[in-house]
Amino acid sequence: MSGISPLTSIARAAAVAPPSGVTPSSTLLTGSAGASSDSFSSALSGAVDNLQQVQNKADGLAMQAVTGTLANPHDYMIAATEASLNTQMTVAVRNKALEAFNEIMRMPL
Amino acid sequence: MGAFDILAISGSGVNLNRTWLDSISDNIANINTVRPTSEAAYQARYVEAQAVSPDAAQPGGVAVTGISLGSAEGRLTYQPDNPMADAQGMVRMPDVDLSEQMSQLIMAQRGYQANLSVVQRATDAYNAALQIGKG
Amino acid sequence: MSGIVTPGIQVALDGLAERQRVLARNIANIQTPGYTAQRVNFESALSDALTSNPDSSATDLSGVVTSAPTTDPAREDGNNVSLDSETLMSLDTNLRYSLALRAVEGNFTPIRDVLRSS
Repeated sequence: MSGISPLTSIARAAAVAPPSGVTPSSTLLTGSAGASSDSFSSALSGAVDNLQQVQNKADGLAMQAVTGTLANPHDYMIAATEASLNTQMTVAVRNKALEAFNEIMRMPL
Repeated sequence: MGAFDILAISGSGVNLNRTWLDSISDNIANINTVRPTSEAAYQARYVEAQAVSPDAAQPGGVAVTGISLGSAEGRLTYQPDNPMADAQGMVRMPDVDLSEQMSQLIMAQRGYQANLSVVQRATDAYNAALQIGKG
Repeated sequence: MSGIVTPGIQVALDGLAERQRVLARNIANIQTPGYTAQRVNFESALSDALTSNPDSSATDLSGVVTSAPTTDPAREDGNNVSLDSETLMSLDTNLRYSLALRAVEGNFTPIRDVLRSS
């Protein structure tokens, strides 16, 4: 992605990666639901792709805004807000998913 | 196509009206400028404006295409005591009508204020757009 | 934590700040005989540089901000500064500056969002 600092790419990856010390088994997430489009893992990975797209769109419009080629300033405002809210939403979903996972792992068998 | 084109478009309107005001004040200042019949009279200034269609390079508006001059003949007036009078006592007065110039002055002033008001409103709108997503 | 702000945005902010300074100088010299108004240009040079290399660093983009005299017609005293043009350009520059500052915020928000909610 053009012009994005390494620190920003790390932050975006951290938005969806679990914190260190937790290694959820991939079988737990994919589970018996398999490749069904309703499974939680596909929903989560869909959200990650969408987040990347939204971020890229906002970055592209930012470049247009500073070089004076952007026709409507509100386009960039809206895209930037969408990107920010998407990041926050994705992080919130990740946190909730990990909470749920930890809850399940603590259940006595 | 820039982000804040309204400012450029109204800016061209402001410049046009300012040029018009300058010409009118020039005409009114010279309304009694006498010239001998051997020379041309003071010629009134008229601003020629043309609409500019918007395209990829510029957002449009209006442009001053030139300043045309009024009649060089002027009005021949009988002023035998005037040092510039010729053998028949005639001098040239400019062909400028004060009441016409005053009404044009009012039109130019209104045009100037109207364009500035567009600029003000557009700036307010843009500032509001810049607040999207804050807080 | 250096290098978070995209160099293109940084250069645009520098260009806009320089434009404001030059506009102020033009307005201050509105009565100076023989003075030609100056204009700062950087948008097309920046756009070209970023199109050819989207990952341009700050050193690649140095020299993008240039200043040139205007070609507007001059009055009798040789001064060609038009107060209306300078004032409107100043308004435009303020708005562009605010827009560029929002773009800078867009650089900081992803990191801040992640740090805040981890």
